[in-house]
Amino acid sequence: MIKRHNPIRPCTGVWLLLVLLTLVTYGIGEAGLGGIEVVFLLLAMVLIKGQMVADFFMGLRRVRLRWRILLTIYLLLVVSGIALAYLMGIK
Amino acid sequence: MAAPAVGFFLPATQAIMNASTLDKDVNSAMPPGDFAIWIFIYAELLAFGIFFLAYAFTRAHNVELFNASQLSLNRESGAINTLVLITSSYFVVRALAAIKRGRQVFCVRWLAAAIAMGGLFVAIKLAEFHAKFSAGISLHTNTFYMFYLSLTIFHFMHVLLGMLILGFVLFKAHRGHYSAEQHAGVETGASYWHMVDLVWIILFPLVYVIR
Repeated sequence: MIKRHNPIRPCTGVWLLLVLLTLVTYGIGEAGLGGIEVVFLLLAMVLIKGQMVADFFMGLRRVRLRWRILLTIYLLLVVSGIALAYLMGIK
Repeated sequence: MAAPAVGFFLPATQAIMNASTLDKDVNSAMPPGDFAIWIFIYAELLAFGIFFLAYAFTRAHNVELFNASQLSLNRESGAINTLVLITSSYFVVRALAAIKRGRQVFCVRWLAAAIAMGGLFVAIKLAEFHAKFSAGISLHTNTFYMFYLSLTIFHFMHVLLGMLILGFVLFKAHRGHYSAEQHAGVETGASYWHMVDLVWIILFPLVYVIR
């Protein structure tokens, strides 16, 4: 079996995806988009970006789950709180 | 347009997936670097988290004011600074990878590049602050600006501290204090810098984009 060599390092792949998600976030802001769906999409991107930084840049994917999960819980709590506050603001 | 984008980012996704598979069997007990920095990092994240939620819930009671004031922000600066910090974090990852392979010179170069990106962030942020203060905007202008200025200045101070820490790590790396076997200092500085990046990743959409 021929093993294909991927020319992109994992950390470079993460960086490229972070750049892409940042550009999407900026694009949403420039388009002046708002509303529940848009905000939930933005917050989902925050979760993905935050977890990628924690796992691949901070190196938490290599440590025991108990240390890794702390940052995941943090991100979930902050993002959920922001989403709840946004919903409160609509009413 | 879509096809080249897919062609560009598909290898990136595959690289990340491969890394996840490879790393399953290298679990270590503790986070990288000095454990004390992680206590500091979680304390800082807690402080920022409370700040973010205070902003979000205050906004819920002042939606029109926050949306109107947000329009005066320079979103380009915020986006560029996000890219700058993400790239700086990436350079720090490369510095750590270099020292793990015993390549001290490359470690120093990547760290210098990361600090330079931190300097660019500081310059852009100072220009943004100058524009706001010149327009007569202060902490007392309204609730939105009170939060905007407090949050971004608080983060700005962390960027400066992170640059100082990275500068110290660079100095030690240049003096040959780190090697492939002993590089906990680089890991410690890197972890703090990534925390500064992580906080901005939440701050940018929250303050500059969500409306």
